[in-house]
Amino acid sequence: MDWSVIYDYRELFIRGIINTILLTAVATVCGTFLGLFISLGKMSSKRILRWTCSIYVELFRGTPMLVQILLIHFAVIPSIWGILYPGASSPEAIYSGFVALSLNAAAYMAEIFRAGIQSIDPGQMEAARSLGMNKGLAMRQIILPQAFTRMLPAIGNEFIALLKDSSLLAVIATPELNYAAMNVAKSTFERYPPYLTEAAVYLVLTLFLSRVVVRGLEKKYSTR
Amino acid sequence: MRIGTNWFKSLALVVGVGVLLAGCGSGGQQTSGNGGASGGSGDKVYVVGTDAAYPPFQMLEADKISGHDIDVMNAIAEAGGFKIEWKNTGWDPLFDGLDKGTVDIGISSITITEKRKEKYDFSDSYFEANQLILVAEDSPVTKLADLKGKKIGVQAATTGEEVVKKAFGDTYEGLKGYDDMPSSVDDFFNGRVEAVVGDNGVLSYYVNKVKDKKFKLIKDDSFEKEFYGIIVKKGNTDAMNKINDGLKKIKENGKLQEIYTQYFGNK
Repeated sequence: MDWSVIYDYRELFIRGIINTILLTAVATVCGTFLGLFISLGKMSSKRILRWTCSIYVELFRGTPMLVQILLIHFAVIPSIWGILYPGASSPEAIYSGFVALSLNAAAYMAEIFRAGIQSIDPGQMEAARSLGMNKGLAMRQIILPQAFTRMLPAIGNEFIALLKDSSLLAVIATPELNYAAMNVAKSTFERYPPYLTEAAVYLVLTLFLSRVVVRGLEKKYSTR
Repeated sequence: MRIGTNWFKSLALVVGVGVLLAGCGSGGQQTSGNGGASGGSGDKVYVVGTDAAYPPFQMLEADKISGHDIDVMNAIAEAGGFKIEWKNTGWDPLFDGLDKGTVDIGISSITITEKRKEKYDFSDSYFEANQLILVAEDSPVTKLADLKGKKIGVQAATTGEEVVKKAFGDTYEGLKGYDDMPSSVDDFFNGRVEAVVGDNGVLSYYVNKVKDKKFKLIKDDSFEKEFYGIIVKKGNTDAMNKINDGLKKIKENGKLQEIYTQYFGNK
């Protein structure tokens, strides 16, 4: 077992860690916003909107993420690019990663939001409406803040799942952490050092997310 | 409460030790099984591992493994008088399988390199390969050095990757190591990489499939010639002798050339 390969390939690992964090951050933000709108769509009174959003959620929840990544990277994005900018290069793998992770996260976030919003007593909305607020304002000012507190643990789970799922992007040669480890393992024939290093880094990152970020948010938004 | 915790601890210990013992036991059994078979009868069926994602050398057609290397290995086994059983292991697990003894023989367009020779025994060569660079038709690139700063696609852990690393460094940012060759060629035609470096056989096979696209294949004379060999675990001379014996026979009776022609035409 030769641990010096980690040092030899440190650039690859550092680049990988940065990209993994970047991918998770972008997907979290985009997924949260997209997910919020999809959850509202699912609860909408307009049937078409409700169905579209439901189909979206089922599609992304019901198919393996690896399949989504391959489909988006090798098929969907090149096709769209071919139509929009004929002859131009398709965006790099990391952009496929942003898209795939965000779209996937949005489906899960939509369900988390829906559960959170529906857990708030309908009387809250009725009270807000009777005070003269319109539906949107009541949602923003009354329902969502309360729902958000209840959703935080579930959202934290989703962040962590997202961080780990980003490792799947190695198959399309996205320079993230798992790609780095796989690459080092393949070219040096060392197995334990790269994979253990990778696992340790993921663990540190997820622990940071759960212990610092999520717990901090929970404390901040605690109603008790 | 205190008793409960201790109970749990001892249970965990028992389970842990049990798992460890079971692991050791099965490991030991496997080795002895292999030893017995290779020492005795000639009826041993050798498990041949391959990564069937490298057409036309090895590929999956329907659920059957086929290709140049498959035909070669079958011919060798027939000429050498031993039985084989195919296993589509994938690239990395192939080497792990050899290490652990779940795979006896590996044939998967494996280039004979010094680094690999440290861990495995190679047969004589059955194919001569050289690296090619795939670039756009109007590209000014004429040799590997011209690719500096550009994004280059390779199949990870192949000789193609090795030559790029040798030229531009182990952690060269533009190097994209794909799991398989088709993906890197796909991304070349999608414009995500500006060049692909890989073995002649595979690259010519692929790009000929997409005739409507514009590309060219460049040969850089600085690339060393490469030879594909069949590998076994270091020290497995019994299997190696049979392979080399069979290989010699099919080289002499023209069978190897016949298979070559079938896949790559007359050259």
